[in-house]
Amino acid sequence: MKRKLKKSWKIIFGIAITLVVIPLVLFTLIHFVPKPPVGDVEYARLAISQASSNSADIYSKTLFREAKSFYDSAMIYWKRENKKFVYFRNYDSVSRFAAISAKKAEQAMENSRISTTNLKIKLKQKIESLNDISSQIAQMFTSYPLSSNIRNRISGGNMFLKEAEVAYSRGQYLQSNKKMTEAEYLLTDSYQTATNNLKEYFTSYPVWRKWVENAINESRQNRSYSIIVDKYSRKCVVYFSGEKKYVYDVELGKNWVGDKKVKGDHATPEGTYRIVKKFDSNKTKYFKALLLDYPNDNDKAEFRRRIANGQLPPSAKIGGLIEIHGNGGKGIDWTEGCIALSDSEMAVIYKIAREGTPVTIVGSMVDLKQVLD
Amino acid sequence: MKNKVLMGLAAIAMVAVLSSCGKVPQAEIDAANAAIAAAQTAEANVYVPTEFAAVQDSMNAINAAVEAQKGKLFKKFGPIKEKLTATVTLANKVAADAATKKEEVKAEVTSLMASIKTVLDENKTLITKAPRGKEGAAVLEQIKSDMTAIDASVAEAQGLFDKGTYMDALNKIKAANDKATSINTELKDAIAKVKGAKKK
Repeated sequence: MKRKLKKSWKIIFGIAITLVVIPLVLFTLIHFVPKPPVGDVEYARLAISQASSNSADIYSKTLFREAKSFYDSAMIYWKRENKKFVYFRNYDSVSRFAAISAKKAEQAMENSRISTTNLKIKLKQKIESLNDISSQIAQMFTSYPLSSNIRNRISGGNMFLKEAEVAYSRGQYLQSNKKMTEAEYLLTDSYQTATNNLKEYFTSYPVWRKWVENAINESRQNRSYSIIVDKYSRKCVVYFSGEKKYVYDVELGKNWVGDKKVKGDHATPEGTYRIVKKFDSNKTKYFKALLLDYPNDNDKAEFRRRIANGQLPPSAKIGGLIEIHGNGGKGIDWTEGCIALSDSEMAVIYKIAREGTPVTIVGSMVDLKQVLD
Repeated sequence: MKNKVLMGLAAIAMVAVLSSCGKVPQAEIDAANAAIAAAQTAEANVYVPTEFAAVQDSMNAINAAVEAQKGKLFKKFGPIKEKLTATVTLANKVAADAATKKEEVKAEVTSLMASIKTVLDENKTLITKAPRGKEGAAVLEQIKSDMTAIDASVAEAQGLFDKGTYMDALNKIKAANDKATSINTELKDAIAKVKGAKKK
């Protein structure tokens, strides 16, 4: 009986030991296993995902790439540590890389937000300003003889501007910016070149103004007619007694910018002239015509100076037979240097003009500022 | 003695069962990666970028979950396997969506290419009828230059289309189409204006 009791006690003691020891061992086994950095890596992954949703991969490329690279490093280190015996694992580097990755992803997202907003504003302003330049070019230079090279550059610039607008409307701001840069270069360059040509041409404006003032004064003093031709605006303005009486559209030689230099240059001369002869319909093929005294003494002197300077060959001829005539209204500069009006308007001018009536031909009656405005 | 041996064996068996019931589902991971690569080949990143980013993110989450399980004493890959299967399905859908979207863009470019040709041909006829009134000729000179620029743009769009970069081709042809249409309107308005004036 005593032996049996002793055996029972042994079993109870054994069970008690097992119940205490096994959980203790299990607790020790589990407790000392290093905790994997699940939270850190998850945080970094979410940060990258959010940055990507905010287009950081496009608008904050470098930072986003760095964030991804640090995330990859974290994953590589995690895998490496997992290959070690469970109690020898150390996830510090994994957590560190994950933290850097998350920080960079957050920065990338913020940068992307800011640069997208800024870029959007910048692009909108640029689209507006380039459209302004494009309209200004269209307004100012439609009738100005620009070279085909400049016209092609304007067309190219407008095409890029359209592409930039399409990309902008589709939210492709970087592409829009790229196209905008090309459009800006072509349009501003063409505008600058064309404006510089115009500025150079308008350096003669003080002389033109003096001629115009003299013509109006003469008309006022003599109570007579005076005809002024404004080449830039394609207008023929008739004054009587110093007052503006008629304004008509005119067409010129196709190389109308600048003074006439030589025979056959298709330029309309600039200067102060007089009507020397009137031709009615029987004597001209251009409805009616008023012959000017081109070349006058100033033209001849200038022509001789150009030959002497070597600007013109000695064999060059000065030309002549510059008239105000009819057959105009074609909408293009088609004469060989004459000034063409529509027949009905030519009939009026023909009626009031006399031999000796002054005709002043200027580049413009208004200064460049007014033209540009 | 016999009891002790039995208890020891039971404990070992329990530990073995608990710790080895999770083996990394490598086949499923490879299948998911292959599906994502296929989606990328289908240019999902170009045509359905948001969806593609979501698949990539889902795979990143799975990779992290795998490592998390690997770090545990008692691994459990069952839920991960389910997520991998879902990712494969999603990646396949994204690839299919990308293909559909690509076809849509291609069809849009093809349609615009056809319609712009009609507009350009019409513009070529209209320009011969356009009025040459005040400043008309100079404007026509600029329009002719614009039409040359549009032709060049259409040719570029065709080149991009032939290369299979339909998104870039779409932007170009849309811009060219807008420009050609605005010229068409401008020319028609000018012609109509002159006709109206003649009737008066």
